[in-house]
Amino acid sequence: MKKKVLATLLTAAMTASMFAGCGGDKGSAPASADTSSVAEEEADSKTDDSGAAKDDAAADAGSAGGDVTIKLFSNLPDRKNGQGLVEQTIIDEYMAENANVTIEVEALDEEAYKTKFKAYAMNGMPDVVSIWGQPAFLDEVLDAGVLAELNEEDYVDYGFIAGSLEGFKKDGKLYGLPRNTDIMLFYYNQKMFDDNGWKVPATTDDLLSLCEDIQAAGITPVAMDGGDGWPMACFLTDILVKVSGISYADIVSNAIATGDFTAPEIKQATEILVKFADAGMFQVGYDSQDYGTTMNLFTNGQAAMYCMGSWDASMALNEDIAPEIRDNIRAFTMPTVSGGKGGANDIAAWNGGGYAVSASSEVREEAIKFLNYMYQPDKLSKYGWENGVGMSAQDQTPYLTGSETELQKQIMDILKNATSVSGTPINDCGPSAFKTAIESEIQGVSNGSTSVDDFLAAIGAACK
Amino acid sequence: MKENNMKIGKIILWIVLVLVAVIQLFPLIWLVDFSLGSSNEMFTNGLLIIPEKIRWDNYVKAFVDGNFLHYLRNSVLINTMAVVLVVIISIMAAFACQRMKWKLSGLVSTLLVMGMMIPIHATLLPNYKIYSTLHLTDTLWALLIPYVAFSLPQGMFLMTGFIQSLPKELEEAAVMDGCGIYRIVFQIVTPLLKPSIATVAIMTFLNNWNEFMMASTYLSTPTWKTLPFSVLEFTGEYSSNYAVQFAVMALTAAPAVIVYVILNKHITKGVAMGR
Amino acid sequence: MKKLYSNKPVIFSLVLPGILVFLFAVLAPICLSVYYGFTDYSGMGEARLIGFSNYIDLFHDSAFGKSLQNSLLLAVGFICIQHPLAIIVAAVLDKLQGKAEGIFRCIYFIPNVISVAVIAYLWKFIYNPDFGLLNNIAKAFRHPGKINWLSQQNAIWSVLLVLIWHGFGWGMLIYYTGIKNIDPVLYEAASIDGASWWTTFFRITLPLMKPVIQINVTMAVISALKQMETVYLLTNGGPNNSTQFAANYLYQQAFKAFKYGYGNAIGVVFIIICVLATVALNTIFRDKQEA
Repeated sequence: MKKKVLATLLTAAMTASMFAGCGGDKGSAPASADTSSVAEEEADSKTDDSGAAKDDAAADAGSAGGDVTIKLFSNLPDRKNGQGLVEQTIIDEYMAENANVTIEVEALDEEAYKTKFKAYAMNGMPDVVSIWGQPAFLDEVLDAGVLAELNEEDYVDYGFIAGSLEGFKKDGKLYGLPRNTDIMLFYYNQKMFDDNGWKVPATTDDLLSLCEDIQAAGITPVAMDGGDGWPMACFLTDILVKVSGISYADIVSNAIATGDFTAPEIKQATEILVKFADAGMFQVGYDSQDYGTTMNLFTNGQAAMYCMGSWDASMALNEDIAPEIRDNIRAFTMPTVSGGKGGANDIAAWNGGGYAVSASSEVREEAIKFLNYMYQPDKLSKYGWENGVGMSAQDQTPYLTGSETELQKQIMDILKNATSVSGTPINDCGPSAFKTAIESEIQGVSNGSTSVDDFLAAIGAACK
Repeated sequence: MKENNMKIGKIILWIVLVLVAVIQLFPLIWLVDFSLGSSNEMFTNGLLIIPEKIRWDNYVKAFVDGNFLHYLRNSVLINTMAVVLVVIISIMAAFACQRMKWKLSGLVSTLLVMGMMIPIHATLLPNYKIYSTLHLTDTLWALLIPYVAFSLPQGMFLMTGFIQSLPKELEEAAVMDGCGIYRIVFQIVTPLLKPSIATVAIMTFLNNWNEFMMASTYLSTPTWKTLPFSVLEFTGEYSSNYAVQFAVMALTAAPAVIVYVILNKHITKGVAMGR
Repeated sequence: MKKLYSNKPVIFSLVLPGILVFLFAVLAPICLSVYYGFTDYSGMGEARLIGFSNYIDLFHDSAFGKSLQNSLLLAVGFICIQHPLAIIVAAVLDKLQGKAEGIFRCIYFIPNVISVAVIAYLWKFIYNPDFGLLNNIAKAFRHPGKINWLSQQNAIWSVLLVLIWHGFGWGMLIYYTGIKNIDPVLYEAASIDGASWWTTFFRITLPLMKPVIQINVTMAVISALKQMETVYLLTNGGPNNSTQFAANYLYQQAFKAFKYGYGNAIGVVFIIICVLATVALNTIFRDKQEA
């Protein structure tokens, strides 16, 4: 009897591993796929040595000195839509043009990405990484010298928008390149609005009464990713911009420097956020729902609006979303606050996400070469535009085709008409301990379990 | 009268058992059910749906894009290795501490068993530092070492108990025949320990099969990633397609459930002996 | 025989692998944690020794307090909800004969073999206020639905429910084996005396199960302390730290807030608490047994 137990177990284990072994050979397994391609490349690379391969894009054309594997660590897990697709397209093109180069991608969700990034920062980064040109993310990273310095002069012809590189510099030296110009938006379902006679609100009071109407119709007014914390902090930033106008950046940096967040503007903005949440503007359970769930609420027609950055404009081209919804997505910016100093065209926008190269990379030169390839104006910027991913941080005018989605045109106009842009959102302005604190505390203040004053005190304490 | 009572008792008994079974199983039925539909069918008020069209292609996507076979192979491989190592090391150490005569036997035995008290997640931070300094991150060792280390105390504990209960006569006879210690351990004692080995193997397997916290901290490329990553990576990749997400969850859960149902009696026995 | 059994090199070779694993994978990380716990190391750059200040901060850290409180609540939940249910079901199951017994036992244990990764994501969907299973069940009972199961007030209970559901089979199985080990003669005697099922349960089953219960209670407390993976995926400690647990918190502090030193200090305290809890429970139960 007992013999039988062990025998069965062993047989099971053996059959399972054999089964897996056979399957692995058929190719879904990256490991075995890698080895075979490496072998091919080895054979190829003996043939020829000549800079980067030309346009002939033939995989059999060998090139520069031996095999190179570049590890790319990305915050874009969805490789089939939007920004992730753009990134993957460029990677595939680069590998096709440079047969000796293999690019391995590790992609994680934003939150998981940032956590793992910091783990990597302790000992050896992947070669090319996604970064955010914001103090909360970058200051400590740059202090530790984890990222490789880039030569700013190389990028004169890349068409970067004036000022967009600033967040990626330290002591005048450049350490990364921005990918997008991000604008905080309310996406809305225009057909739903038209059918119900709802109008885009001009003031926060309008917004509140609009939300009442939407609720009365049994629909969730705004889908908000409150589980992650940072979107809500960006939302607070948006309100604060309308309250304080162009003095936003000064108020925030002053508060972070002193650890005193009791400035009337910050307090008022927080109170407005609480009022919104109290009025049931967000979906039930917003403070525990993640990015995907929140977005799906909007893209499945369960919510009338969705609050997120302009990078999600690619929704309009996402095949997974029903056409009657994706064709009707439009956007507006945070309405004005009565008595606030910010006008309708003072917007919350920044150059956040981008890429950098690891200082300790063993293939640093190759990695920078790839980075530069990505940023050639007709790569990231152009493909991004074609895939509906909002605005890049580079001049996109040459790629205007006239066939952009309505949503893209709207976003372009919003940026064109902007009288001021905020710069870095509040949660990213301080040290990472502050970021961690505000992104957790903001859940408490919005759902009513922390008072506004306690909230301000708690985030202040995290700055000290 | 008494018979009536008995009947009512039987009925209540069945109601309780079926109710618990439904609670335990229904979420899984729900999972499989929705994994066969399309995403927009999720937004229903019903408890279950009859999919308009059974969408096996959800599973095809899950199977291919979830890297299922590769991760399954890794899981099987790593877990089997961990089981073998835990069994061998624990038999050797338990025998030395339990049967052989030396001063520190008690101390070593206690030390090795004490690992049971250490919360595994408290070692995530320092281990990450150690492994990355030694360039062990993203290798097989980064998983194998902690998996063995944190199953060993339990294995050691169980093996010590089992070896204690073995009669000494056999070993004495073996010594008379001129056997060395190694032969005694591996050829005389080990075969006697078969049921205990099964128990230790099952416990080690159950402990490590579903582990993902260490794997997601120590690994970066898909080379050694284990089965839970099918789910962890996939949900980001297909964030706008719920049905496919459900399919990958069902698929990932399947191997362990199937093996369990087939071997259920033996595993039950093993767990009961091990606890 | 004696000589053979006290051969030092042989002994050494037998215990060496075990000791190496222990040194490298258990002791070394703990020592490293103790060291980093005394530094302000952020994870990058230089580490500076700062004495006990991490531990002093920890003492005032409300989120850490909340984690311990949550562990306690979880342990109480296990002991007061999961275990009584498990014992009763095990006792009921014991009454059943034949094939059905095996089938039920098998079904109860199934959630246990499924990965936490699947379980956590699955329950995220079950708790979804818009299309989740629980929500739809509530609607079937004419409740308007849209219940926020993971709100700041409810989340910890929802986490508890998932853990109870997931671990139920394990607890049940161990009690079940315990009951099977009870001498059937005792039950026969009781039934001859005309004792009811409840009387038998309270007079015979429970008292004889005492050692099993004690082991299970110890395990419950330890697993409540060690909780991390379900919470990490289900709520990640939120909203606003309301479902925070020590292991998750130290991970967040080290890798999210860039306070690696502080994270290690939490780790050290965490280990001490786990060891103390195990020792304390063992002592209590041993004393009782002797008494």
